[in-house]
Amino acid sequence: MERFYCFSKDKFLDFFKALESFGTVQAPVRVTDQSFAFRAVKEPKEIAFEALRTILPPKKFFYPGRETLVSWQGNEVKDHQPEIQKQVLFGVHPCDLAGLGIMDTIFSAEPQDNHYLLRREATIVVGLSCMPDKHCFCKSMGTDTPDSSAYDIFLTDIGEEYFIEIKTPRAYALFENDQLLLKPITEEHREKYKDFWLKRSEAFQIGFASDNLRATMDMEWDNPVWEELGNRCLSCGNCVPVCPTCYCFDVIDVASLHEDGGERIREWDACQFTGFAKVAGDFNFRPGPVDRLKFWYRHKLHGFEDPHGMPTCVGCGRCTVSCPSGIDDIVGTVLRLQAKVEEEPKKGPANDK
Amino acid sequence: MISSPFLPTKATIRSMIPLAPDNYLFQLQLSDASMRNCRPGQFIELWVPGVGECPISVCSGSVDGMMELCIRQVGRVTTALFQKQEGDWIGLRGPYGEGFPLDEYKGKDLVLIAGGLGVAPIRSLWQYILDNRDDFGKLIIIYGMRHSIDLLFRAEFKILMRRRDIEVYIAAEEIEGPALPPVSLQLGRVTDMLRLAPIDDNFQAAICGPPVMYKYVIKELEEKGLTHQSIWLSLERHMKCGVGKCGHCFVGGQFTCRKGPVFRLSDLEFLPEVIECS
Ligand SMILES: Cc1cc2nc3c(=O)[nH]c(=O)nc-3n(C[C@H](O)[C@H](O)[C@H](O)COP(=O)(O)OP(=O)(O)OC[C@H]3O[C@@H](n4cnc5c(N)ncnc54)[C@H](O)[C@@H]3O)c2cc1C
Ligand code: SF4
Ligand code: SF4
Ligand code: FES
Repeated sequence: MERFYCFSKDKFLDFFKALESFGTVQAPVRVTDQSFAFRAVKEPKEIAFEALRTILPPKKFFYPGRETLVSWQGNEVKDHQPEIQKQVLFGVHPCDLAGLGIMDTIFSAEPQDNHYLLRREATIVVGLSCMPDKHCFCKSMGTDTPDSSAYDIFLTDIGEEYFIEIKTPRAYALFENDQLLLKPITEEHREKYKDFWLKRSEAFQIGFASDNLRATMDMEWDNPVWEELGNRCLSCGNCVPVCPTCYCFDVIDVASLHEDGGERIREWDACQFTGFAKVAGDFNFRPGPVDRLKFWYRHKLHGFEDPHGMPTCVGCGRCTVSCPSGIDDIVGTVLRLQAKVEEEPKKGPANDK
Repeated sequence: MISSPFLPTKATIRSMIPLAPDNYLFQLQLSDASMRNCRPGQFIELWVPGVGECPISVCSGSVDGMMELCIRQVGRVTTALFQKQEGDWIGLRGPYGEGFPLDEYKGKDLVLIAGGLGVAPIRSLWQYILDNRDDFGKLIIIYGMRHSIDLLFRAEFKILMRRRDIEVYIAAEEIEGPALPPVSLQLGRVTDMLRLAPIDDNFQAAICGPPVMYKYVIKELEEKGLTHQSIWLSLERHMKCGVGKCGHCFVGGQFTCRKGPVFRLSDLEFLPEVIECS
């Protein structure tokens, strides 16, 4: 078989059926006027093809907000085996594919996280092209081209048809029973494909130069911009669950009320919360919102290069749209840090009160 | 099938020896060989079922069927642990981290500096060195605490102080309560002891104590001629998983639980939030 094909959008139902033959299809659906979420869908018409960023990123399918790791009963301690269901994740854009790639790196580093990896192996990921809006800046983070380690199939919208790249054997297997669906590509398809990606590259409305982010963050560690942003941060932690690469967790014991036993549970945690970095003696390495916000920015923009060789922001813009104080404007903040002379701090809504 | 990194192994509490108010030495009988290769400076995650886990330093120089932990009762997990009895079981995961750089220390003069409970990992180091005494040069131990009543390992220090191949300096900021069995204590801080001790620029230093102590100790060592290449710090960070996943211990660009908790000072240079805290 070839790697590249195309199929007509009229045939999407057949494509969808092929996906369903593997497992439940999870795709973006519209939940309010302005928001989308990945949900299980039964029919193509439920899918919101226009969705850019969903409220939560796809990480929730592999790394749920709360899950049992270990259970015990009396003297017996057991490894908890999660129930794994086969599924297809449809409509994952390049930023989220990059996010998945980063999560894969974290959870497959030794010692491997079996829960994450089992779910990941049971999932076929179908990427989908997109056109950036005013909050997208994956191009600045270098995550605008689909991370080929993260998907099985990638669809590029070239008008009446989808240009499809099939990458894994299990993805090929989906189409074995329907040889008529996929058509060979022609010179015209290639042109349309190249055109699409060039246009997309030119469509970004915001961005910054990212080659000097390490120097920017380290040199500007004491820039007054941080105080101003820190004063407005509510430490609500909204920016964390929505981020495709925030993976921090807490582990807690939930004891059974009826018997001598219980479960050890992992829950998403957020470095924006006060107690996140507290140690014995009540010493806190990041006591103020400003310390935690700076830590978060540093971690996203370059702090992760040392252990894993990459920054962790993929430019999806979710934190920007979900921050109640409007301070998670990564592009705006980086531009202010990179500016030659720092302007007078602008008054934000929270400062005017 | 990959096994879960979060599955603890069981250990039985063999004895709980009071060392000072709120501090016990726990002697644990291990149920398998997972802790056999523990190195000084590494830590484990200790689990009290139904309550939770917390990171605790390995306190004994070598671990075979038994392991020692020195624990202070401060909060939820440690309080629940102090209510256990001899014969009860608890869970352990680990050992985690890199620990002290034993290969680097070989053949060199060493000064070990402990503040308060920081003496727990430092004890694993001196025990290891004494077990392999010929591999190392001079050995100086400096140990400071706020109140003399909190002095840990009194009996062991009494024996150490009689040895000719170690120099021990112990200081308390305030003398309070009995000093039995007596060890010679001085009034002052760790930094005062550092000034007294015959340390020169050939020494390697290992430090563990409360976060606020580090910058004063580093300054004193610099005065003695030590470069940042020869100073090693055990950093305390909030640690939940111990395996580089939960993100709690991330500092500068590293997971303290994986690359640390012991770091060479020169590797921490220019990283924010490493030593200062409030
Ligand atoms: C590498 C390392 C080695 C340590 N070695 C020892 C030791 O040998 N003996 C000893 O008594 N203590 C040691 N500690 C400190 C010990 O982990 C904390 O005192 C313990 O977590 C308190 O747990 P708790 O549930 O009883 O307290 P909590 O009720 O949770 O809180 C009490 C205090 O402990 C802090 N704390 C809570 N959870 C953690 C955590 N996961 N990591 C760090 N601090 C936390 C809190 O901020 C608070 O100040 C070590 C800590 C680290 C990081
Ligand atoms: S930091 Fe913000 S823009 Fe970057 S990946 Fe996370 S949520 Fe998206
Ligand atoms: S940066 Fe915004 S979203 Fe994040 S904790 Fe602060 S106020 Fe909440
Ligand atoms: S303790 Fe979880 S990452 Fe280090």
